[in-house]
Parts: sequence; structure tokens; C-alpha cells
Amino acid sequence: MANGEIIAGFLAPHPPHLVYGENPPQNEPKSEGGWEQLRWAYERARKSLDELQPDVLLVHSPHWITQVGHHFLGVRHLSGKSVDPIFPNLFRYSFELEVDVELAEACCEKAAQRGLTATMMRNPKFRVDYGTITTLHMIRPQWDIPIVGISANNSPYYLTTEEGLDEMDTLGKATREAIEATGRRAVLLASNTLCHWHFHEEPDTPEDMSREHPQSYDGYKWDMRIIELLRQGKTAEVFRILPQFIDEAFAEVKSGAFTWMFAAMGYPELPGELHGYGTVIGTGNAVMEWNLVKAGLAGAAAPPPAGPSVAGAREAYAGAMR
Amino acid sequence: MTAVSAFLVPGSPLHLLRPDNPPWRPIIAGFERAARALAVSRPDAILLYSTQWIAVLDALWQARPRLTGAHVDENWHDLGDMPFDIRVDTDLAHACVKAVKAAGISSKSVDYDQFPIDSGTIVATRLLDPDGRFPLVMAANNLYHDAATTMKMAGVAAATARAQNKKVAVVGVGGLSGTVFREPIAIEQDRIAAESDDNWNRRVLRLLEKGETGQLDGRIEEYAREARVDMGFKHFAWIRGAIGGRFFGARVHGYGPAHGAGAAVIEFRL
Repeated sequence: MANGEIIAGFLAPHPPHLVYGENPPQNEPKSEGGWEQLRWAYERARKSLDELQPDVLLVHSPHWITQVGHHFLGVRHLSGKSVDPIFPNLFRYSFELEVDVELAEACCEKAAQRGLTATMMRNPKFRVDYGTITTLHMIRPQWDIPIVGISANNSPYYLTTEEGLDEMDTLGKATREAIEATGRRAVLLASNTLCHWHFHEEPDTPEDMSREHPQSYDGYKWDMRIIELLRQGKTAEVFRILPQFIDEAFAEVKSGAFTWMFAAMGYPELPGELHGYGTVIGTGNAVMEWNLVKAGLAGAAAPPPAGPSVAGAREAYAGAMR
Repeated sequence: MTAVSAFLVPGSPLHLLRPDNPPWRPIIAGFERAARALAVSRPDAILLYSTQWIAVLDALWQARPRLTGAHVDENWHDLGDMPFDIRVDTDLAHACVKAVKAAGISSKSVDYDQFPIDSGTIVATRLLDPDGRFPLVMAANNLYHDAATTMKMAGVAAATARAQNKKVAVVGVGGLSGTVFREPIAIEQDRIAAESDDNWNRRVLRLLEKGETGQLDGRIEEYAREARVDMGFKHFAWIRGAIGGRFFGARVHGYGPAHGAGAAVIEFRL
């Protein structure tokens, strides 16, 4: 199979508060709501994703931290209960997911060919991190699309920010090659918050939105500046000032997902669609989409065949992956 | 003195999962000696702080009576999983939450099924107390706490144990120098990645052996910065806080590498 392509990328942050606020059956703690603007932003993103009909979702998460290389989930079926070590009161989520192992292996191989240390994670008892799970739930709560999970190598923290992000750029390019080689229609998910200055104590009622606001005005202004540039499609300018943004706003994009996603998409000077922005314990979170199909940079999904529905075909594919 | 023994030990899963690898044998042998010393000290509980249990809100304290499961390390998943069975002294843990909060450090207990237990805690408990004889009180490493706050928290925890008439062993789990090999290596050839790190580690170990707390205090910041010490050596601050600041020397039971980083098993003379 060949001629795969990336059809969209989403900035898809992972505060577990959003799952908590939504009250899905998979999550034990129950809330009175909260963080609606961000959850509604994800509703819009879900709708768009549904129209895109991807074969696979690739997610790069800052909460799977690896010191030696870039790791890829490599077990076909993973399940368990994910308890967030920071917010166990909000996120205790029972998950089941299917991994597109063939694509993960291709990503790993292409990364290695480009000189990165890359490893497959084959241990079936592995605990998938809450960042991966939160992002995937928020963008596709049906869990009916196979995924590729990618770790955040700690190079931007261990080396300089620039050296680390250079690695993520290489990883993104390798990811694109793998997608093209395996024929997948792929959506990329950068699981990153923007400004990451946050409160140090949680309100007694976490979803009490009268207590929610940006932790830092300077951080908020940085977020608005970055979002505005992204909305205008000024990608090169965003990446020019990215190290300064990271330093001054303690931005979580330092961990690499944002750079990985844009490198994979070829840094298109394409206006991003802002689905919504909101703060979570003071951090800045934007849900944004770069739809390469709408922009004419990727092909639309083939019309559904006369027989089984697309959803049915997807289910059949997921079944075959098991 | 509430503390009847104190140990600084590494939390890398490598030593637990590949104990026969020659460069890692000194650490395993060190753990064996430390485990005997811990058993002889007969604590009522272990006050344990692992640099790998990360918190960003509050000081977190584990309060689930029993924790069981099998953990797979985020990085070393190919080496297998690490079963654990840990008992917690919940009376003391809850009292620590209350006392530390009263001391001005926001604190919370965690008591959740399948709460993720970090690799360092599992490695330390498996190798120091393989039969699980002693219940634990476990505190998280809040990334925003400095060494002084960590010492204060540990001091309050020890005082709380004293108030319950309990003797404690103090355990700080974490590494020494932090330069690592960022690519796979032949593990039988593991070594401290940088000579300057090795020199720093040995200098600090000598000061610990001699109990030179004054000199140590003047050099820890520089050591942490230059040798990229694991979490700024806050696990040592935990020990210092819990034993009241002073110790009379230390025995280095084992020193060696963990994929380039520095690791040591140290028993403090109280």
C-alpha cells in the first residue's frame, strides 16, 4: 500500500479536567460540569474529525516521557484503568484502544533511518499515559479509530530547547514518510497546552468556574499572540518565536508534539481554525485544526461504498487489527 | 531519635530488572547490605520519598492501605514488569497530611485503586524490604518544592511519627549524577557517562562518609548543577529533614552506573 497522506492536524491539549467535566461512563469521578468552552471546542473538532474519516489517529504525548529515544506503542490491543498521578480525584478512566502496529513500526523504522533512536513498546502490561488517553477521548470518544501513540523524548529538557525541537522536527518528517509509505489517511494530534503557568492549589470544587482564570496575564498575552499568528497562517513566524514563547510562557509545546505535528505536515502557511480557548487550573489551552483536505493539500475521503457504511468498514478494520 | 536508620538508594529499574549485569552488581550487593541493616533497625514504618513520584499541586501522601500490581517502566518496558505489594501505615500518613498542612505546606492524601506507583518506590521497596515487613509512609516529589521545603516536610513527618511513638527508617530514593547515555548501549559496558560526573559523585560520597555536613551544605548546589543531579538531590534533603539535619558519617554500600547516570546505596550513621 502507498500514497498515504496526512489529512489534518489538531492541537489537542489533554487536561483531564475536560474528561471529568464531561462525565463519560468510562470515568469514575463525577462532576457538575465545568470548562465548557474547551469541551464545546472539542465538540466542534469531533465533528470535523468525523467528516475527515481518517484511518488512524497519531498522538504525541508529553506524559509518556522517555530518556532513551522516541518510543511507539507496539501492542495491538491495550486496556486498563488510567489514574492520573497529579489529578487522581478527577481522572480514573477505563480505556480500551487499538493500535495500528504496522504504521507504528513504519514510524519507528523511518525515525531510525533518519538517525533518531527509536524503539517499539511491546509490553502488553504497559500503562498508557493519561495525556494520550485524554486527548484521544476528547477528540474521538467512540474509540473506534486505531491509534499510534508516540512518547515525548526528553531531549528539549535534557539538551537545549532548539536541539530538542530539531529532533521533533526529524521525528515529524519520519512520521510523514511512514504514513505515505503505509497508505494511511492520518490525523495528527499534538497533545500540548500553550502557556503552562498554573495554580499550585486546587479549589475544593475543581469545576467551580468562578475560580478559573489565566494564572499569568503575560502568559495569556503570549497565548493570544501565538493563536492569532496561527489563525493567520503565519507558521514560519510562530516557529521563529517559539523558543521565546516556551521560555517566557513556560509553554508545554516545549515537549515536542507541536513541532512534530507541523514538521509532519510540512509547516504549511495555512490559517488554523480555532475551535476554542480556555484555561484549566490557569494554563492556556487551545483546540485548533489544520484541515489539509479543505485547503486542497490532501485528498478527500472516498465516497462511502454502496455496501457497508464507512463506520462499518472502520469497525471491520478495527476488528481485523485485534 | 525517631529515626532508627536512614538510606539513600537509587530508583532505576535497571538494577532490579537485570541484577546480574556486572556493572550493576555493586548496587545490588549494596541493596542487600542495606536491606540487612534496615531489618536490624526494626522500624515501625519507613518514611519514603521518591524523586520519581511527581506532584505539582500540594504535597501528596499515599494513604491506600495496600497497593498491589505490576508496573511497567515508561522507558525500560522491554526489560519486563515489576510486581509490587506495598503496605501503608495509613494512621501515620493521615497524621502527616494534617501536620504538614498545619506547618504551612498544602497537603493531600491519595487513596485510589490503581493509582500509579512510580518505578523508584517499587525498586526501593522490593530491594530494601523484599518481604514487605515494614509499612510505608510515602510522600511525593512536588516539583515546585525546594530542598528547604522538602526538609521541613520530612522533619514534620518524623515529628509526627514520634508523636505516635513510632520508630522510623528514612529512605530517599533517587540518583546521583544525571548525565545519561541517550542511545542504547551494551549494558554490560555501562559506566558513569562523564568523568567529571564520576569525580563529583565520589567527592560527595567521601563527604557523606565523613559526615562533613558543613562542607556538604556549601557544595550541594554546585554539585546538583554541574553533575545534573537527579531532582537537585532533594531526596538527600528528605533524609536530612527526617533525621534532624545531622548525621555522623555514612557507609557507601554500593556505587555504580545506571545507563550513564550515577547511583549509590548509602546508609547514614545516626
